[in-house]
Amino acid sequence: MIDLNINGQTHSVDVPPDMPVLWVLRDVVGLTGTKFGCGIAQCGACTIHLDGQAVRSCMLPAGAVGNAAITTIEKIGDSPVGAAVQKAWLATEVVQCGYCQSGQIMSATALLEQTKKPTDEQIDAAMAGNICRCGTYVRIRAAIHQAAEA
Amino acid sequence: MTLHRRDLLRTGLLAGGGLLLGFSLPRPGGRMARAGQADQVGPSPTAFIQIGTDNAITLIMPDTECGQGIWTSAAALIAEELEVGMDQIKLMPAPPDAKLYASPALGEQATGGSTSIIGDWERLREAGARARIMLIQAAAQKWHVDPATCVAQEGVVHHQASGRSAPYGELAEAANALPVPGKVTLKEPADWTLIGKPLKRLDTPGKVNGTATYGIDVQVPGMKIGTVAASPVIGGTLKSIDEAAARSVPGVRDVVKLRNAVAVIGDHFWAARQGL
Repeated sequence: MIDLNINGQTHSVDVPPDMPVLWVLRDVVGLTGTKFGCGIAQCGACTIHLDGQAVRSCMLPAGAVGNAAITTIEKIGDSPVGAAVQKAWLATEVVQCGYCQSGQIMSATALLEQTKKPTDEQIDAAMAGNICRCGTYVRIRAAIHQAAEA
Repeated sequence: MTLHRRDLLRTGLLAGGGLLLGFSLPRPGGRMARAGQADQVGPSPTAFIQIGTDNAITLIMPDTECGQGIWTSAAALIAEELEVGMDQIKLMPAPPDAKLYASPALGEQATGGSTSIIGDWERLREAGARARIMLIQAAAQKWHVDPATCVAQEGVVHHQASGRSAPYGELAEAANALPVPGKVTLKEPADWTLIGKPLKRLDTPGKVNGTATYGIDVQVPGMKIGTVAASPVIGGTLKSIDEAAARSVPGVRDVVKLRNAVAVIGDHFWAARQGL
């Protein structure tokens, strides 16, 4: 059994230690907001926070998490910055199909937690690992600026 | 040869047998019953509109929302005629029921080829209009007044002469018992307040907080996950496999041999993938 701190709750899960956190979240704990995109940490759809840092959960073994706090899209709105990002996302109508947006929001929130007023260049650098096939990048950047003003 | 995007979409649609359908079940109890009264003239609007006695207004979306915004457009078609605000409604996907929800343009319960609005344009506005007429009728009967003297606005029926009003939820049960009107007159374009106006997407709140259900997110009790390795060449058939390694993976439940493929069934995707 592995104990994981997910969104402030301890979950004891009976999974192999090499199982990526993505599948623990989705298929064991039932938190399906975190998405499977590529499975090789190249697209960012599975982004979660590990002690506030944006990480790709599809390549993060459950056995490597230890006591670190996992935060997912389902609870990111509990933080003032996460809530501001979600609000800006809706106000700017960032979403097209939305499949990548959980990961986009997790990366954007991590950026704004560390950099209060990011420049376009800082946004592009921080968001470079999150791919959007609908091409919502311009609105993502605008929404991050809007959230930074909130 | 010039291939247009729509031709590609249509070809893909037909070849693939239709795009993914969201599915869930209609909410039971206390709602306007489903269609089916034998003596009705028009189709019952309740296939698309459920009004609870608690005043919850739920619109059933026949099309799959893929980011094209159809849930907002389709909801606006109903809301325009039903006379409800876009902030008063909840949306849910239509359950699998081709009789009620097949696309008029495609002839099956499918979404694609830019056919949703073409198919919904009349049926959803008519559903909204029929429901509104029935709700007004219910209010008029309750108040013993001429329905023509009542108006519906923002989910409430008003009788201005007497100052009475009733929210749709209060009228839903009585309205449900009334015959469904046949031919209905739809609003003139000049009177539209929603159609053709910029609207906020209704499906996006669930897509910024992880609650939206995509196909990959559907979970049913006891569900297992399967992965498949198909023959890499057309016509290839399975000769033999050594199942031992796959079955030793924690979480693998079964190895299924097919004529031209092998499938691994696991408790979760990781097991099914490791086992393949």
